[in-house]
Amino acid sequence: MVSPIYIIVIALGIAFSLGFFGKSKLNFAGILVFLGLLGMSFISGQWLFAFLNDTEVNTLIFTAGFQPPYSISLQMGLNEAVLTSMVNIAGLLGFVYLFRELTTKGIHLLMVYLVFVMSMNVSLMTRDLFNLFVFLEIETIALAGLILLINRKEAFQAGMKYLIASGIISGFLLIGIIMAYQSGGSLNIDDLILANSSIGKISAIAGFLILVAFVLELKPFPANGWGIDVYTAAHPGIGSLVSAAVATTGLYLLYKVLPIVGSQFNDYLVAIGAISFIGSNLMGTRQDNPNRLLGYSSVGQVGLLTIILGLAPSLGNQTLPIAFSILVSHFAAKAGLFWISGIIQSNHIKDWSGLRSSPTLMLLFGAFLLALIGFPPFPSFYGKWELLLTMGGNQQYTIVLIVLLGSFIEAIYLMKWLGYVIKIERVEIPRENLTLHKQIPIWIMGLVLFAMGFLMNRLNDYGASIDYLPLVFIFLLFVLDFLPVSFKNTLSIGGLLFYFIHLWEMVTDDLIRQIFLVIFLIGGILTFVAGYAQKGKRPGFYPTALLMYLGLAGIITAQGMFDFFYNWELMTVGSYFLIIRGKRSMPHAYSYMLFSIGGAYLLLAGFALAAASGAGEGLQALQSISILPEWVYGLLAVGFMSKTASLGLHIWLPGAHGEAESDVSPMVSAILLKAGVFGLVVLFLSIGMYNPSAERLLYVLGWVGALTTLMGNMSAAFQEDAKRLLAYSSVAQLGYILFAFTMMTQMAWLAGFTYTLNHFLFKAILFLIIGAIVVKLGTHNMYQMGGMIKKMPFSFIAVLVSIIVIGGIPPLSGFAGKWLFYNAILEKGWYFQGALIFFSGIVAFLYLFKLIYSVFLGQLKDNHRHMNEISAWVLIPSYLLIIGIMIFSAFPKEVLIPISDAIAPYFGNDALVWEGTKAVSHLGYWDGTTIAIVVGTAFMLILAWLIVLSAKAQKVEQFNIVFAAERPFRPETTHVSYNIYAGFHKAIGFLVTPLVTTFWNRMAEWTLDLAGWGRRIYSGSIQNYTIHVLFYIVVFYLLSMGGY
Amino acid sequence: MVQVILIIGLMLMLLGIYGFMQSKNLLKIVIAFTLFNTGINIIMVSVGYLADAKAPILDKLPDLNEIPNMVDPVPQAMVLTAIVIGLGVTALMLSYVLKLHQEKRSLDINNFKDLKW
Amino acid sequence: MVKNILILLLLLGVGLIAFDIFGAFTENKELSPTAAYYAENAAHEVGAANLVTAIVVTYRGLDTLGEVSILFLTAAIISFMLKFRKEEEMEASDLRPASELFITATQVFTPIILIMGIYIFLNGHLTPGGGFQGGAVIASAFLLMLMAKPRLQLSHRVIARVESISGISYVILGVLGIAFAGGFLDNRVLSLGSFGELMSAGIIPFIYSFIGLKVGAELSNIIGTMSNLQKENK
Repeated sequence: MVSPIYIIVIALGIAFSLGFFGKSKLNFAGILVFLGLLGMSFISGQWLFAFLNDTEVNTLIFTAGFQPPYSISLQMGLNEAVLTSMVNIAGLLGFVYLFRELTTKGIHLLMVYLVFVMSMNVSLMTRDLFNLFVFLEIETIALAGLILLINRKEAFQAGMKYLIASGIISGFLLIGIIMAYQSGGSLNIDDLILANSSIGKISAIAGFLILVAFVLELKPFPANGWGIDVYTAAHPGIGSLVSAAVATTGLYLLYKVLPIVGSQFNDYLVAIGAISFIGSNLMGTRQDNPNRLLGYSSVGQVGLLTIILGLAPSLGNQTLPIAFSILVSHFAAKAGLFWISGIIQSNHIKDWSGLRSSPTLMLLFGAFLLALIGFPPFPSFYGKWELLLTMGGNQQYTIVLIVLLGSFIEAIYLMKWLGYVIKIERVEIPRENLTLHKQIPIWIMGLVLFAMGFLMNRLNDYGASIDYLPLVFIFLLFVLDFLPVSFKNTLSIGGLLFYFIHLWEMVTDDLIRQIFLVIFLIGGILTFVAGYAQKGKRPGFYPTALLMYLGLAGIITAQGMFDFFYNWELMTVGSYFLIIRGKRSMPHAYSYMLFSIGGAYLLLAGFALAAASGAGEGLQALQSISILPEWVYGLLAVGFMSKTASLGLHIWLPGAHGEAESDVSPMVSAILLKAGVFGLVVLFLSIGMYNPSAERLLYVLGWVGALTTLMGNMSAAFQEDAKRLLAYSSVAQLGYILFAFTMMTQMAWLAGFTYTLNHFLFKAILFLIIGAIVVKLGTHNMYQMGGMIKKMPFSFIAVLVSIIVIGGIPPLSGFAGKWLFYNAILEKGWYFQGALIFFSGIVAFLYLFKLIYSVFLGQLKDNHRHMNEISAWVLIPSYLLIIGIMIFSAFPKEVLIPISDAIAPYFGNDALVWEGTKAVSHLGYWDGTTIAIVVGTAFMLILAWLIVLSAKAQKVEQFNIVFAAERPFRPETTHVSYNIYAGFHKAIGFLVTPLVTTFWNRMAEWTLDLAGWGRRIYSGSIQNYTIHVLFYIVVFYLLSMGGY
Repeated sequence: MVQVILIIGLMLMLLGIYGFMQSKNLLKIVIAFTLFNTGINIIMVSVGYLADAKAPILDKLPDLNEIPNMVDPVPQAMVLTAIVIGLGVTALMLSYVLKLHQEKRSLDINNFKDLKW
Repeated sequence: MVKNILILLLLLGVGLIAFDIFGAFTENKELSPTAAYYAENAAHEVGAANLVTAIVVTYRGLDTLGEVSILFLTAAIISFMLKFRKEEEMEASDLRPASELFITATQVFTPIILIMGIYIFLNGHLTPGGGFQGGAVIASAFLLMLMAKPRLQLSHRVIARVESISGISYVILGVLGIAFAGGFLDNRVLSLGSFGELMSAGIIPFIYSFIGLKVGAELSNIIGTMSNLQKENK
């Protein structure tokens, strides 16, 4: 083992000797510094390696050959090895990144850089308080020098602010240290920890001053204007070091001195962290300067970590693993993002859209942002999960709320940024910046991120159930992205099919899961078939689609809350990238993502609260919730309902589904929405039929379902956009499903499953066909269509079948659903809600008629005279789905009896009695097969009759009926179905006033206003920032020590 | 006796802080910083003080197990270090001030608000 | 107005902290355990008559190395700052020449000050003083020269060489401690010698000499750079 003391020797030896190098040998000097950093990384790395292999124990290195406390000692333990390795890696990669900038400006900054990295190493390792102070000062001064790498007035100002603020902070630290010496008689940290037992006032003040200084070094909100300015003004290469290495060091130093101070400050630390986490992220929402935004985000992340340090007593030995997982995500992501910022070189986040020209950087950018928010498979996901479940288990609900709120606020601006980068018009990035030495560090940080995610996964109890193979497959597809669509499509279908077969074995004895598995994966395959109609390469489509399907399949096979949530998040990420592909999808995908993240956090909160009941982390634990059951169930239900787009949480759906690409719409509508349904099914089955603690909840949710239905159907009827009409129809259908499941009887659940299956079948058909038509005709607006029946007869028949199912008209399976549904309502006795449902059923006919009439019947538009049928690749899956409808309609028994049996353990088995093909309920009977035969025969007869008649009819060409004196300035008014329900709108249109949209918009405005008001404290004045720091110290002192 | 030194140190420190908050002139802020620093150094020295003890410089090798009568040398060593650090920071601040002055020909802090929000 | 009241309140708040410190402070009656150890053993272990030096150079040698690094950084950063504008030709400034009396006095005193500085750091382990003090005195000689001859350009090259050599030597002496004695910066590489003599206390005189040279070079560098910056500013 090479002693860590050589880190100092190498760094200072090289730094001092750089004085020999003149201007001509700068490159050589640079290489020497690089070698030095490499050596330092090697030293810390070999210790890390030894600790991980248990070949080395915690080692104290004495300087000057004397025992501590008389001389300064350095400690090299696992923590130190990990952190010095992180710092040195960041330093090394950062140097590679900055090589050109640093070496062209003379030797001085090379020296400063090397000493800077070294100072962090020593302050991490030293066990002497005053030595810590000295190397902290070195770090400060070195940073004040590195800020000068950019020759701009902003950098000078930021450096000055930084120097003054840290001067004050270190002054207070110095007083604290000398007072600690006065009371403890030693400067050795371990001695001082022991001395803490003899608490006197002087040691309390000393502890306070030391603590407040180390807290302020972390740049806590709001006393951090000086720190934020450094992030903004410094070269991004330096910003990345500040964010990754300095923050890492600062956090560990706080952790290191915390025992000296004693545990009485832990609650204050939590509060400080919470203020920082939420406040700083709030400030971030108003930022459009990438560096400043990253600065606020860094402060926020450090705040979260401060919370974790403050929670150490309740987290126990979980503290460091949790902290590490979040820290390492922050570390890799921030370093990478700052480095990307240095390549882009722009003051506005919108200019980052240039990243699209580099798929690798684009992928890493997305990964970095998602890692910051805490999505799987990144390490922070594991940390947040562990943190929240432990906190929930300890019934520390405030912490759960704070962490989720802060994370959500962070997601607000990070997802906005991601949306910009994916969608808005591309701004070219300077080519000369895309050099290898600027990109390699980013790649390595990306690798670190993924590797750490994998490591965290293996450390997690439930991590073993996470299958990495599909992720590798998805990555492979990403690598093969340059291949044509047909190849990737086939590969994806093959992958899904293989995965379906693979998973089928896992759910063979669980019909409910089988049903959803079929919907998710077979549905996925069918929608992929339509993908053959697409041309070009569709960059990024297949990996993200498969990611969504992977998540969907995963929530079915999940055994525990952890893997359920993991896959839920994968699905969310995948679907977001799918939805945002649409031309005008940016704002809709954004709101989809915010609602999804919000919903996911509600789920997380629900799981965290569930942990308080101590029934373990398996999904079956939901059956035995003893503490706050109504909250647990409520949070989970609302979380799932954000996915099923129930009233109040639906505003993202019309845009997201309506604007998505033509084959993405069926994916997200027919398939993805069922994820929420599946969640509700699992939840409600866990609640059980007679659960007094959920009765109120289910009643309320029932009303929500009914109202959702009405709102959805009415809004659909007033749409002019064909795809939005279908989207609102989905909202309504999911309302039916929610309503059915909340009734909690076997009959209702049969209805619910029938609706679920039906909605999957017909909504897939409708979105496939209408989507293809929309693409073909080049318009979403139904008033620009018409008369397509002759041009697209197959499409017409498919749509006709679908709307017969939606309308619940015999003989198709929609009728079965309706029949079961009304039976269930009458049995349950929910008459008011039932009436509402019945009424909205009628409203549904309005939009169904409008859809089929305005698209297929009526007047053919002039410019559509040469249209022909849509692609066979779209028709094939549609007709396969129609076959499904036909089978379900003709043989409902074969489907319904197994479902009855599957849910019988939960609800009893007395809903239906089957007599042959006839289903008998308490209220009447229904015979699907006979109806199918009768109605089918009648239909055939009438069809035949019509065909015979039509032979005699005179053929006329269609002509435009807009004529005579009128010149239509608003062409839509010439279509008969435009605003066809104006009368209804006048009468009951007030019911669809977008109150909910207004509400959410107000919330957003209010948040942004708050952020705008809050950030006025960052006035830019050095003096104000000084006052903030002092104010922070004084207020903290009065609160924590005032009553001493 | 030592309390007087401590009070002087604390007062100097407060004076420096007042200067930070009140001065509009960058140079005066740097001077306030040195006052603040000096105050802290005086506080540190006062901590090691023992009544009637000598400076920690020995005339002869002490006998084994004999503790010579002297003040605590540790704070003195720390002050030595702290002074040098303070010197470094002050020098750096001054050169920053020079640089800022070059930029705007002014020392008024209100002229240096280019970064905000 | 509001701001003034706020400042006053804040000052009161910090004053409260200061008051609490004062109230809680108790005068020491005896040496702290650490200090007692030094008082008892430092002279034997390190061999320096000046215990502060023993602590600064040996026991807390790492602090001192850090200190040197800070001055080193400061000098480097200030030199770097100057370089920004150096490319644009510095215009000849019209600084007022120093008086004849001053110039003559400078010529007389400079060598004396330099010798004084060297004396201070060489005897750092015996008398009050040491590398930093000696280095500061040496730098003051350069300051005097600069004031006497404002147009004087200190040779950065020479200064940088002195700085580098003494810095590297310091680090190498530290490493010798690992090789031949108890650890990094241990002074017992050479024998402790007889107490109270110039060549005693192991390598402390050497370390302090290098520190003295380095600090002198660094401070001179800072002074020189600053005076250049100032000329530029005119």
